[in-house]
Amino acid sequence: MAKNTRSSAFRKIDVDQYSEDNYKEDEPDSGPTLGPDENEVNVLLQKGKLLDALRTVLVNAPVGVKNPQVKENALALALKVILSIKTSQIDDILNALDRELLDTLMKYVYKGFENPSEGSSGHLLLWHEKIYNIAGVGCIVRVLADRRRV
Amino acid sequence: MSATLKPYLTAVRHTLTAAMCLENFCSQVVERHNKPEVEVRTSKELLLTPVVISRNEKEKVLIESSINSIRISIAVKQADEIEKILCKKFMRFMMMRAENFIVLRRKPIEGYDISFLITNFHTEQMYKHKLVDFVIHFMEEIDKEISEMKLAMNARARIVSEEFLKHF
Amino acid sequence: MTEQHRFGNNPITCHAWNADKTHVALSPNNNEVHIYQRNGADWKQVDTLNQHDLRVMGIDWAPKTNRIVTSSADRNAYVWSQDKDGKWKPTLVLLRINRAATCVKWSPEENKFAAGSGARLISICYFEKENDWWVSKHIKKPIRSTITCLDWHPNNCLLAAGSSDFKVRIFSSYIKDIEDVPKATQWGAKMPLGQLMTEFVNQNAPVGWVHDVSFSPDGNKICWVSHDSSINVADATKGNGVYRLRTEFLPFLSCTWVTNNSIVAAGHSCIPVLYTLDKDGQMNFLAKLDTSAKKESGGLSAMKMFHSLDKQARIEISDTNLDSIHQNQITCLRIYEGTKEKATKISSSGADGLLVIWNLNASSLSLENLKI
Repeated sequence: MAKNTRSSAFRKIDVDQYSEDNYKEDEPDSGPTLGPDENEVNVLLQKGKLLDALRTVLVNAPVGVKNPQVKENALALALKVILSIKTSQIDDILNALDRELLDTLMKYVYKGFENPSEGSSGHLLLWHEKIYNIAGVGCIVRVLADRRRV
Repeated sequence: MSATLKPYLTAVRHTLTAAMCLENFCSQVVERHNKPEVEVRTSKELLLTPVVISRNEKEKVLIESSINSIRISIAVKQADEIEKILCKKFMRFMMMRAENFIVLRRKPIEGYDISFLITNFHTEQMYKHKLVDFVIHFMEEIDKEISEMKLAMNARARIVSEEFLKHF
Repeated sequence: MTEQHRFGNNPITCHAWNADKTHVALSPNNNEVHIYQRNGADWKQVDTLNQHDLRVMGIDWAPKTNRIVTSSADRNAYVWSQDKDGKWKPTLVLLRINRAATCVKWSPEENKFAAGSGARLISICYFEKENDWWVSKHIKKPIRSTITCLDWHPNNCLLAAGSSDFKVRIFSSYIKDIEDVPKATQWGAKMPLGQLMTEFVNQNAPVGWVHDVSFSPDGNKICWVSHDSSINVADATKGNGVYRLRTEFLPFLSCTWVTNNSIVAAGHSCIPVLYTLDKDGQMNFLAKLDTSAKKESGGLSAMKMFHSLDKQARIEISDTNLDSIHQNQITCLRIYEGTKEKATKISSSGADGLLVIWNLNASSLSLENLKI
């Protein structure tokens, strides 16, 4: 018996994962690849142009990108902008955004919930409610269904 | 603190309504089987993005959904050691009787205190909006129950120690 | 106006009408198919089709040849024909799949049907006289996940398939043994069996399982509804551009064209909704077909509160009923009166056991505005 009959590691291989027919997740990077420009956003924040800052962050959101560093930077920037907008200004800002940007904003709200910091969750809950009032439950469904995650 | 309770529960309610859109789906991995895809997790295309809704650092809800099932995990507020023990015991009590709850999961997900598993079979038999009401009601009541238990426990402890110390 | 019919308390998985709409075949969420005959406002069960072992997933009734095809989670499909005394007899179909069959549809000429399955393929089945059974040819590439929905093009050859791998594809299902070469259409000219004519992907990335797909009556447009609460329309005469409308409702599970420019969709929100397509290809919300408001029960709210407190020990007055006719998701829409070109009534069945017939000519809807 020339073959090694002791090793039974072959029994533990999951054959199904090698099947060709399986759905493969590897979509190439698409959309904005670098995320929003930090300097640009900071300048807008300092000038008090909150709507433009938010728009820049949302339009350049790296949703199609796999690089975690890019995503993390974009997330931190987005949350900075979102949390610096005062409660009274939220309504006006939301009315100026279109549906697609609202969907992206909702994605950031949910991502912001994952790492709560001092008082952030309360503020994010307010944003959540206001976006829901405009975009309805469809917006939340799109956050769940969209495979391009922020 | 309690100012965030209502928005928190509203946000959870809306997210649950959105995530509980389940339909029957036969397993594409094993013939003639029908499994909750959120538990099996072999086919990545059948899973939705998991979302977290947090009220503060300690209290949060994780909602993971798929084409035929949804898993809801709740992290309950536990302010001190006593509440931690009470919570653990209470959850354990319920999870051991998970069959009677129908939608309860026997083991919570890592990092959370209790988990629900709702499948399309449940939404076929029960109203979706009532299931959502149930989960929200559960979240509201848990805090009350644990506080009540803590008060009752402290009261009993005081009586017991008074009796004991009367001897000295 | 709207007629409601209840068929038990179990969800109705799917339903199909015969040619003159006097009979309906539906499955009460189990392995049987019940045939009901209409008797004025009542329904009489005339037959039970009991050949499947597991849940019946799809039913289709061919109006011209009066045959029913059913597909089930037990990997089988049967074609049923009525014999002289009105009983339905099954004929075996060799689908050759090793997973559940999900959906099934007769082709417009009714000489073949397509069955989607969890085995990641579509079986096109046609009748073989020598052995008295239905045989199938498979369409496999490049499907990567369960096929969830199918629809035929009016030319009897092109087939649209939606899948849980987020894509809608149009295939050719030309079977040379039973038909002539089809003429070229807006979707392409060469059509061997299994040829992928087009594949629609949502913009940059996949978004949501496709729940239902439907060809327009002229065959040049295709609409589909997917799990991201959107309705999408693609027009072959406009270079296959996809128009995607994000809605604020819960995801739709079923859609159908009711004129060449309007679509009715229904799903988890329990209400059928009408959308129209204008000249520039933009889709707009027109109306909800279900305008029932929450039932206003008279009396003081305090009395209602004590009533519910007494009956159920509940303080809240929250109602168990939804303010819509359907109390649970709508899973299947069919044209009841008219054709896809000009439908006047549609029927919907849902997970609450109700079959509702909606009148599209209701004055509140004024489809007249849609004539282009």
